[in-house]
Amino acid sequence: MANISIGPLRWQAEPSRVEIRQSGESVRSYYQVTAPRDVSSMCKGRPVEELPRILSILSASHHLASAVTLDNLFGVTPPPTAKNIRDALVQSLTFIHHARKLLFLLSSSQNPFGLRAELAVRAGTSPVAHHVLDEIGHAMALAQEAASILGGRHPHPLTAVAGGVSRPVKEIHYRRLAEIAESSLPYALRLRDIFREKIIGSGNGLYELMDLTVSPIASITFSGVEDAIVLTGADGSGSTTFTANKTTDTLEALREPWTHLPFVHVKGKTWQGPISDQSEGLFFVGPLARLNRCKPARTPQAEEERLHLVNSLGPAPHFSAIAAYWSLVVEIIQASEIMKDLCTEEKLTGLEVRTIASNPGGQHAHGALEAPEGFIYHHYQVDERGIVDDVTVLDAASENNALRCLLTQKMVEDAFEHGKPWDRAKKTIELSLLPF
Amino acid sequence: MTRKNVAVFTATGCKACENAILDIHYQVSSLARWAHFTFWPYVLGSSWEDLEKSDELDVCFFAGAIRTASDEEAALKLRQKSKILVAFGACAAFGGMPGLSNLHPGGESALCKSPSDDDCPELPPLRSRVAALQQIVQADYILPGCSPPQNYIWAILQSLVCQSESAARISFAASRLPQPIAQAVMAGVLPPGGSIFAGEKAVCASCARIKEEKRFESFKRIHQIDPDPGRCLLEQGLLCQGIATREGCGGLCTGAGVPCRGCFGKAGAVFDPGAKMVSAVSSTFDTTDGEEMKKIAEEFVDLAGTFYRYTMPAQCALLQNRKELK
Repeated sequence: MANISIGPLRWQAEPSRVEIRQSGESVRSYYQVTAPRDVSSMCKGRPVEELPRILSILSASHHLASAVTLDNLFGVTPPPTAKNIRDALVQSLTFIHHARKLLFLLSSSQNPFGLRAELAVRAGTSPVAHHVLDEIGHAMALAQEAASILGGRHPHPLTAVAGGVSRPVKEIHYRRLAEIAESSLPYALRLRDIFREKIIGSGNGLYELMDLTVSPIASITFSGVEDAIVLTGADGSGSTTFTANKTTDTLEALREPWTHLPFVHVKGKTWQGPISDQSEGLFFVGPLARLNRCKPARTPQAEEERLHLVNSLGPAPHFSAIAAYWSLVVEIIQASEIMKDLCTEEKLTGLEVRTIASNPGGQHAHGALEAPEGFIYHHYQVDERGIVDDVTVLDAASENNALRCLLTQKMVEDAFEHGKPWDRAKKTIELSLLPF
Repeated sequence: MTRKNVAVFTATGCKACENAILDIHYQVSSLARWAHFTFWPYVLGSSWEDLEKSDELDVCFFAGAIRTASDEEAALKLRQKSKILVAFGACAAFGGMPGLSNLHPGGESALCKSPSDDDCPELPPLRSRVAALQQIVQADYILPGCSPPQNYIWAILQSLVCQSESAARISFAASRLPQPIAQAVMAGVLPPGGSIFAGEKAVCASCARIKEEKRFESFKRIHQIDPDPGRCLLEQGLLCQGIATREGCGGLCTGAGVPCRGCFGKAGAVFDPGAKMVSAVSSTFDTTDGEEMKKIAEEFVDLAGTFYRYTMPAQCALLQNRKELK
């Protein structure tokens, strides 16, 4: 029996590593998150209206999901302008989230910092010129500025409150948002071209991504307009729909003793662990899950890119890393187009941005959001003073935990079978986990 | 020009601090003129073996709270290896929001059973309490904030990494840095040890809201009122911690219409942020009648979780004095 430890893993928000147990011809991997988030301890005993700020520690999207849950708790509907401001924030966050992952992908085979990167490009060992990375960085900086205007600050926003947002968009800020929105679409299209040139069409090492795939599993997406959570089967058919308040009747979080990150899976299916061949009950969320719903994109140029993807890789569902990365490109274009549409004067400006709760609120509430990283869900139980007794948070990391374990096991088995060195296996694992 | 060996690491945290370094408008790549990033697991995939093989680190930016035995070990290793260790962000500086777990010791750790299978890898043991970096090893400088604002990230990079090599340091010296730091940055020498890269006064000093010395009759919660955009939030009955918190953010939260929650830690002249807030708030009650004061006081909820939102492990004087926590 040999024990191998690979880590810490690159680009992961949670401190994580892969522990490998090798015995004879068999090899088993454990994708291990080594520190707890422990958000329930942070939230219990807090006034419920503080949760959007506390839960933003998970990601900026949880700030918004928490505000949606508070809307439901206090029975208030945000005014249209506030809804648009929140939606515009989601689009900015989508741009930042996806662009960061693509930036990491494009700089994966080099040290992205300055001189060394330039030398690597000149020597022909790096496929992506440094100024290209800077260009993406500049686009991200603009999206961050938009997120700061809309959310009050970045990366932990604070403006979403029960019933809307805490302040209207000022005239001067609106003008800047319109400028940013105008410039973000050309950046998104440029990113699409870079992706096509450097990843799809280059035939370089990153093209190996095509081989990174996982056995089919179900996926979950959320439609806010219909308040419908859709569980799509592994073969792309047989979808089940339920509302946000039925989430905990349908999904549950399980814990394994070797990782701090729980596994969210479908209730009523036998839990056989995350590395079993039996994938029934497992699912994943995120951009690829949204792509696998086979719905047209919301905007024309994004739809054009989605169709290009389908023509190149075949019809959905897809389970390859390349499709996951490509779905990021589709959604960046979509986010830019929606942002441009939202940044019209009548949609973002206006002083009516909050509905004040006229009652003390209920004692429990649910909220869901289709965030850039995937479907997220909150449930709060509060006492008569509005103090949190209990919280349930399903985040994309725990929903994708099983998928990450499956991917890791596949990469480790592949490395073992072909005698690849573990440092090379580490890079492959990191690249396969990044888009999820 | 000698490039400095720089490390960036997050213990238990959300990686927002590391992303904040990347987010200095991506000019971070130009830092390669002065810095050689020898250990940055999140971005470069560096391993602990890489760190062991590397030369001594000139500067290490340590983010995140100390939650597990691995975090503690990392703090000790990086302290030993680094000439300058910076507590980067509220979690490293004061324990941050993970420190709220100290109000419910046990928490999620109780859910983590010991491995049933012998082959099953073990998790690093959890500490009984979350700690700030400074409670484990000495940090040379502190950069507070959740996450630290970009202007201060630039200032600390100019000051500790670029030092006299970058002409841009002079423009940062002219910003709102405390005088001793500004002078050091200007001169291209290291600031005094223990310096906090933030303002010296309280957030109220940079908050644009008007204070009218008004008193309030009842405590309000943010979902109950739409506060007047120009007036002090505390005077409108909302618990705003600007009066006890070190400035440096420029009143970011209050400017967005929500109260300050103290992510820059206590202001220079404050002994304990919670005690300061209790004193400040009680002095604004619009009554001298004992019963009425009691009634107003009873309206307040979760003072510990509010006043020590980011600072529970490091700045709550009552907890510091409890023997069992030492």
